[in-house]
Amino acid sequence: MCEHCGCGLPPAGETHTHGSDTRVRVDLMQSLLDTNRAQAEENRRHLMDHRVYGVNIMSSPGAGKTTLLEAIVRQAKGRFRIGALEGDVATERDAERLRTLGIPVHSLTTGSTCHLDAKLVHAGLHVLPLDDIDLLFVENVGNLICPGLYDLGCHLNGVLLSVTEGDDKVAKYPQVFRFSQFLSITKVDLLPHVAFDPEQPEREARILKGDIRCHRTSAVSGEGVDALLEYLLRECEAAYGTASP
Amino acid sequence: MHEWSLAVALVGEAEAQARSRGAVRVHEVTVTVGTLTGIVPDLLARAYEVARQGSLLDGVPLRIIVEECRAFCPACGEEKRVEDILPICPDCGGTGLDIVKGEGIALTQMDLEVDHV
Repeated sequence: MCEHCGCGLPPAGETHTHGSDTRVRVDLMQSLLDTNRAQAEENRRHLMDHRVYGVNIMSSPGAGKTTLLEAIVRQAKGRFRIGALEGDVATERDAERLRTLGIPVHSLTTGSTCHLDAKLVHAGLHVLPLDDIDLLFVENVGNLICPGLYDLGCHLNGVLLSVTEGDDKVAKYPQVFRFSQFLSITKVDLLPHVAFDPEQPEREARILKGDIRCHRTSAVSGEGVDALLEYLLRECEAAYGTASP
Repeated sequence: MHEWSLAVALVGEAEAQARSRGAVRVHEVTVTVGTLTGIVPDLLARAYEVARQGSLLDGVPLRIIVEECRAFCPACGEEKRVEDILPICPDCGGTGLDIVKGEGIALTQMDLEVDHV
């Protein structure tokens, strides 16, 4: 309450002018990401209620998110149940690719927006048969910048970097790497053909996030896919305290 | 262009704050942006000009404060100013810094016109 006039405007700690004018200056500390963060917490609770482990997959367009997911789904077949939310600016192409593998998929089309947010993911969670899913992948819109600001309510954030993109990308787009718990260098079957030193992005990612987990994968040769899958399963077990779901 | 989503969130938040305080007009809005967010202030300003249209903030100027990154270096045992986008201690070169400031975006001040004081 204002000690000059007791008007209750603004609340304690804020200053405002008195006299002939009616202008007040209000000091605030209202994060613009709070609404999204609250929705993300709600999403995580919802996933926990259904014992679903959520993994947010981010990368630039063409780094191989959908192709890696296809490889993971094939590898996991018969061992545990996978579902996916597919974020794209337009088209159902990625969703269709995964649907043909026989898993539940829902497409999140963002229109003009360059990233998924927790509200969009929430809508998707209500469409998927969560009780039939153990591991849920949320494939973000292809973009190495914006997704790094938006918690979706997944348990893990992962970023992919393909060897054809160049080994200098981590330092150029730091936010999304700082935001991630794991990094996967993708398309490593092409390493003999490109000037890409996988140790550089891994080293720089560790500077940004000391405990980031680094993987190298090829969806074509299958290299590293099982190791990535095993890592995700261990994290899932740690979250739910059970043996393999 | 996450600046667009953030501008929309900014207008919504500022409108809600203004209404909850019984403001009849808004004179200025201030947003503080940390350097580590990667948000481009010019893009945010332009997105805001579009996002404010038709709202209580129509025509209201936006002030953007850029907040430098400060981080605690465990090796040195003190807080430092970090200018590089890779958080490396400027003194000892150590990594594993704890970010103290500079990784958020917040509505930090509003100049309001109220119908009674």
